[in-house]
Amino acid sequence: MLHSRESQTGIVEGFVMIANTEARVGSRTRFWRNILTAYGFLLPTISFKLLFTFWPIAFGIYLAFTQSNIIETKIVGTQNFRELFGTAEFAARGPSPYFYEGMLNSLKYLMCVPVIQFLSIGLAMLVNRQIPAIGLFRTAYYVPVVTSLAVVGFMWKGMYDQHGPLNYILTVVGLMDAKNPSGLLNNSSYALYAVMLMTVWKGLGYYMVLYLAGLQSIDRTLEEAAVIDGANRWQVFWSITLPGLRPTLLVCSLLSTISAIKVFEEIYVLTGGSSGTYTVMYFVYAKAFQDFRFGFAAAAGLVVAFVSLIFGLINFRLTRGNQT
Amino acid sequence: MIETRESNAAALETIRLMKQKRERNKFITNIFIYALLTAIALVFIYPFLWTVSTSFETTGGVFEFPPNLIPKSPSFRNYVDVFALVPVARQILNSALICFIGVTGSVLIATLGAYPLAKMNFPGRDLIFYIILATLVLPNEAGMIVNYVTSANLGLLRTDVGKYVAVIAPALGNVAGLFLMRQAYLSVPLELLEAARMDGASELTIWRKVMLPLTLPTLSAFAILQFVAFWNTFLWPSIVLQGDRNLLPLSAGMLDLSSQFSTNTRATSAGAVIMILPILIVFLFFQRYFMRGLEGAVKG
Repeated sequence: MLHSRESQTGIVEGFVMIANTEARVGSRTRFWRNILTAYGFLLPTISFKLLFTFWPIAFGIYLAFTQSNIIETKIVGTQNFRELFGTAEFAARGPSPYFYEGMLNSLKYLMCVPVIQFLSIGLAMLVNRQIPAIGLFRTAYYVPVVTSLAVVGFMWKGMYDQHGPLNYILTVVGLMDAKNPSGLLNNSSYALYAVMLMTVWKGLGYYMVLYLAGLQSIDRTLEEAAVIDGANRWQVFWSITLPGLRPTLLVCSLLSTISAIKVFEEIYVLTGGSSGTYTVMYFVYAKAFQDFRFGFAAAAGLVVAFVSLIFGLINFRLTRGNQT
Repeated sequence: MIETRESNAAALETIRLMKQKRERNKFITNIFIYALLTAIALVFIYPFLWTVSTSFETTGGVFEFPPNLIPKSPSFRNYVDVFALVPVARQILNSALICFIGVTGSVLIATLGAYPLAKMNFPGRDLIFYIILATLVLPNEAGMIVNYVTSANLGLLRTDVGKYVAVIAPALGNVAGLFLMRQAYLSVPLELLEAARMDGASELTIWRKVMLPLTLPTLSAFAILQFVAFWNTFLWPSIVLQGDRNLLPLSAGMLDLSSQFSTNTRATSAGAVIMILPILIVFLFFQRYFMRGLEGAVKG
């Protein structure tokens, strides 16, 4: 019995060996053909990523050390950065006008991040229930997400108009003089916050859907067990729901942190950078496409990239929690 | 015996009362929830209602205290006006062209690229996967500047066709789509592929005849997300096309309209309605795909 089992394994091993050698004979061509096919499938993806993601990063870094107006490009070392920060030969002129102001406004824009997370988690919990017509409400909250900022900007200019609906509300509650209302977007102490409100309004639905998916992946029995054990709603939220949402929170807050520092299009469509809403990416855009100083703009872009990387990391450390 | 029955009845009565109270509480909570949901919905929808209302209003001031959403003398005049102000019909065609090429191209690239990443074994697969993954978080603030310089250096900005290539090409390699498709491919059973390979089907045939039909829902979800993205994007097209009204897509045309004719809010709002309508229709029809695409993009 023992003997026969041994011989059986021997037979099986023998078959495997034969199969292997047989495979090896024709395997070299098959091996290379397999690789060729795989990379053939990947060729469009790889070439588009090389041309429009990796090349821009590499060439952008190079461009930052040049003076370029497209027609001619001249390497100038760190001159762009010296001009940006106002050091060495630019010390007398000080930092480039509006660069620090823009940076400060972009950092202020980070205030959106916790607001968006807080409101969208609340919204997700509100719509995470099986009641009639709930789909209709989810849709309503999501519609701004699929609307172009070109349209959203126009609509919110209307909302913020001197005689627009928002000012009407403000006059009703007595925060604005009804006889002589002024547009919030022309007021340099409020304009930036007004743009932020639009960003929150447009983005909430997007984050709501992500958090909704996060909520629905949490094991319901955990919450039920906690309730049976006498936990109140608040305790359930803190010790079960929120930890369950942590992966989503990590992604969502990272996404909104990066887009807050890079905020530009919202400003562009709503105020055109006036009334104290100039952000650092507006600076980059203006230097490139209004002044045609592509090298200088790329240098500023590099600084922004560095800052957003730092804040991305900070955000990652904050939301990662105690997991390793 | 009688006593117990009585106390039983009393207990049942209490339970019934409690149940009733709970039902009533639930009813009150539901009313409260619907009120809250409606109030929030109003905040999200009001700007749209205002735009539609303004686009049909022809008399009185654009803004009134208190705001009025019902047009006093509704007509299509603002729509006629906007077609006279800017070449809207032309811009709709431009948008359609950009969307068609953009969606077809990016879906093709993503569905092709995801296949070996999900279902083939070859050296360098994981490396490529992680490098592509890294592009999602790599800061690329100078991207638009370099793309502009590259397009100019390649001579793309000299001809109309070249300009359109410059508008569409940078958005074709979509990483989110690649992950979405990879995730969908992973769920296709390996036995199916092995069977097809045994029958001597080439990988391209397997991709076309097995993978694509089986992952059609995800593919549609991605295509719809891309359609919305291409339809809505305005900044890059307006930089490349430099305000040539006959070349601009509707989104960039909308921006041009609201800045050049800022005094004509009514015609602009008509333009805005034209701009939103296709997206709204697509969104309402394919909402299920939408959510699936979004959720998949996060999980992937």
